[in-house]
Amino acid sequence: MSSVVTRVVARMLLAPILVVAIAILVKGFADVGDGFSAGVVAALGILLQYVTLGREEVERTLPVRLLPHAAFVALLGALAVALVPLSRGDPILTHSPPAGAEVTTVGKLELMTAVAFDAAVFVLVLGAVVGIVHAVARAYEEMEAT
Amino acid sequence: MTLAFALAAGVLAGSGAYLALKRDLLRVVAGIVLIANAANLTLMASGGTRGESPILPVEGEISDPLVQAMTLTALVIGFAVIALLLSLVYRVYTGYDTLDLDELSKEEARHAREIDQQARDDDDVAEAEGR
Amino acid sequence: MRTWAPPATVLAMAGAGFVALLWLWLTGGGEVDVPWAPTLDLRLHLRLDGLAAMYALMATGVAVPVFVFAWRYLPHHLAQQGRSVREQPRFYALLGMFMVSMVGLALAQDLILLFLFWDLTAVASYLLIAYDRQDGGARRAALMALLVTAITAVALLIGTLLLYDRYATFSLPELFRVAESSTTVTVAGALIALAALAKSAQVPFHFWLGRAMVAPTPVSAYLHSAAMVAAGVLLIGRVYPLLELSPVLLDALVVAGFASMLVGGVLALSRDDLKQVLAYSTFSQYGYVVFLYGLGGESGVGAAAFYVVTHAVAKCALFLTAGAVTRATGAQRLSELGGLARAMPVVAAGSLACAATVASLPLTVGFFADELLFKAALERGWVFAAMALLIAVLTLAYMARFWTGLFLGAPRTEAGPVPGAMVAPVGVLGAICLVAGLVPAPFAAIAQDAATPSLLAAVPVEARYYLDLRAENLLALATFALGALVHAGHRAVPAAAEAVARLGERLGPERAYTAGLAALNGLSDRVHDLEVRDFRGRVTAIFLPSGVLFALAFVLTPTVGAYAVGSFSLGDLPLVLMLGFAACVAVAATRPRGHLTMVLTLGTVGFALAVVYALLGAPNVALVAVLVETIVALLFIGVLSLIPREVLRSQMRATRERRGTRFRDPAVGLVAGATVFVLVWGGLSRTGGEGDAARRLTELAPEAHADNVVTAILADLRALDTLGEITVVAVALLGVTKLLRRGRLW
Repeated sequence: MSSVVTRVVARMLLAPILVVAIAILVKGFADVGDGFSAGVVAALGILLQYVTLGREEVERTLPVRLLPHAAFVALLGALAVALVPLSRGDPILTHSPPAGAEVTTVGKLELMTAVAFDAAVFVLVLGAVVGIVHAVARAYEEMEAT
Repeated sequence: MTLAFALAAGVLAGSGAYLALKRDLLRVVAGIVLIANAANLTLMASGGTRGESPILPVEGEISDPLVQAMTLTALVIGFAVIALLLSLVYRVYTGYDTLDLDELSKEEARHAREIDQQARDDDDVAEAEGR
Repeated sequence: MRTWAPPATVLAMAGAGFVALLWLWLTGGGEVDVPWAPTLDLRLHLRLDGLAAMYALMATGVAVPVFVFAWRYLPHHLAQQGRSVREQPRFYALLGMFMVSMVGLALAQDLILLFLFWDLTAVASYLLIAYDRQDGGARRAALMALLVTAITAVALLIGTLLLYDRYATFSLPELFRVAESSTTVTVAGALIALAALAKSAQVPFHFWLGRAMVAPTPVSAYLHSAAMVAAGVLLIGRVYPLLELSPVLLDALVVAGFASMLVGGVLALSRDDLKQVLAYSTFSQYGYVVFLYGLGGESGVGAAAFYVVTHAVAKCALFLTAGAVTRATGAQRLSELGGLARAMPVVAAGSLACAATVASLPLTVGFFADELLFKAALERGWVFAAMALLIAVLTLAYMARFWTGLFLGAPRTEAGPVPGAMVAPVGVLGAICLVAGLVPAPFAAIAQDAATPSLLAAVPVEARYYLDLRAENLLALATFALGALVHAGHRAVPAAAEAVARLGERLGPERAYTAGLAALNGLSDRVHDLEVRDFRGRVTAIFLPSGVLFALAFVLTPTVGAYAVGSFSLGDLPLVLMLGFAACVAVAATRPRGHLTMVLTLGTVGFALAVVYALLGAPNVALVAVLVETIVALLFIGVLSLIPREVLRSQMRATRERRGTRFRDPAVGLVAGATVFVLVWGGLSRTGGEGDAARRLTELAPEAHADNVVTAILADLRALDTLGEITVVAVALLGVTKLLRRGRLW
């Protein structure tokens, strides 16, 4: 297992990494970045925890086991965003507010369905990568055990 | 520039094809990674225009945003495919205890013969019961 | 999962479906007509006309007793085979799918839709027959059923397309309006009839039905009475207006039907296995229906419809009887059974009523079925009446053999207790046969309605007792007398039947099927052997022909001016250097070094390309490329850590050896690289430089409230691509988690 310093540093780095990830997501519409990169960055932060702290401790202290499930919820969410316009007679994936209309903003974040779609991508990618990391870690433990 | 892009893509794809012919399954996956890279590069190079990054406001020529979006999608899908491939490789290893394609082929052929034999035995049994 | 939930669900589905369909039918039917793919002329056209009502009511109505029976049957069945009760939901799900596809088939008014449901029933029956999947016989029987019905289903499709080619419509009502007697219609009708005959297991396709008996009893009961086999005659009834246009087709139906009745009757007399007797009886009974459709006319078609309903009720009960008897005694051969009437009175009584129905004894609803048969046959002439008589005698004989063999005589085996839920369905169905024998009006009404769409006109179907000496009654009396005679000589008759059956086995169509299958199997084995000998050979086999195709393309397209070197300025120097670097590293990755080195080299290629993207003015792509490259490298290392070091080392040695492939691999790599180079160069030289699309997209981005044009494209303008992409990621997640877990995959 890794030294105390790396463990503490890894723990401390998690919050900033997540903040960076959220920033990439939120600023995605104005600057470089999108849901996918944000998701991978956040997942890398969690992967760092796995590497330094070990699977069991990470999964005991952080709710990461929920993330793969969240991924599928996010996929459903993206589908919902895609399909809801159909009920109004619009083509699939018509976003609202429509082109040209005013958008409420909170800082750099614009409140619109396109952003919700991107957020779904974020959660899905985060969940997928964490799920894959979890699967590899478990397979490794099983291999060690035998 | 066109020539440079084409040369680079050709070298990447050629190296990938070479690796994909190796006996080692992990090298086959590596070859596929290289071929995917070649494809992504081609996609990026096929943009109509080159210039500034497509983030508003821009002045002058901008780089074609459509191919960028397509390359992004291709990159992500490539990632998913490679993850799946790697876990398949691991699965093959746990099933056969080898990553050598020659040995796997032998194993597969043996397995096919076994299934055939099994089917033939079943037929014989069914025949015997039918009489 | 609660064990009662799945059967209760399908049972509720069947019950609710039955009530809803009945209500709809009584209130005059319903119709749904939605354009589904208008450019292809496909419609989702479902209509509850009389024919649809009859088959849909059968499919749901017969399902109720079958599901009740299965509820008690299945746990026992699974326990006997040492399987987990967790396999139950699958069974009910499949039965539900079978029922739904059958109802859909009954309602479909569009040939393509019909074909869809047709294949769906084939798939459902395949999975159900092979439900005991550890049993090789069950698997082979299922495959046989699937092959025979699905290959002939192609004939249905071809017939459909022939009609479409001629009349430009898939809609049946429209076809009936415009079609006139012609060769096209005859050929199409013949193809469709072929599919129907195979589905209804008529000669020469009958062999699959006998084999299919290995399925669990509820499946056999359902498959024989209301689904699958009934689908064949349903199709004949559905497209009857087209068949009617060609007298030759009707004559063919008469021949096929008669042959089936005869072969089925003889085989049913010769079999010892309970379910086999019933299977051949089914096949013979559907022969009646086909025969009647062939006779045609008002009385023929009306009688056919009447026959189908009575048979569904009675045959279902008989199969359940066989299941209950086997459950009680553990035996399933007539020679091992006997004298069960005292031990199982309800089953005996119920099945007596049903056997009498199939054998057309008076006081049961089956009597009218035979009266109608004789009437239709008499209308065509004495020859046909004689045929009908012969078959009726055979039917009576094998039904008598079945029932008396089971329930009369000396008891030969101990009969254990049987759950009430397995007895009750038999009793209820038997009671229905008897009550309808006295009050046949409901059966006649539905048959009358069902005959209407086949003739496109209202048809009277009369079911009542005439107490006089008319020809039908005389024929019936003759049947009873001759049937009793045959049954009395029952020692000699099965022996003769047995000999005929043996002969059929030796020369019959099943032989051709087996031989054909074996030949195909041999061919595929040879191809497979060729293929699995070497994976790299397989890869080469893909690369080589595609290379040849590309080379041909180059030969055939003019190359003058097709290749441009492109502009180059000093500012592009970093880009070119980076590309060169990426190419060099890629070549380095092919060196036979350790795996970790290889992974890191690959990562370097990716990062170099990310720099290229950044220099191209694509920071978004560069960011994602860096991230993807990182994750892929980490994942690679993770998988490397899962594989023992010795294995990796031996792999490296094997890579270094290069025995026999010393020149081949580099040559293939070179050719592949060169082809890609030429291809990409040609492609890139052709992209126009106007950038019109780029400008338009840039103008659109503010409309999507985004400054980052790429994100606007991904999340808004081309968001459907992204939706597909994240679906791929989710599927990959599922696959990876499943694959990395040790043990069985499912």
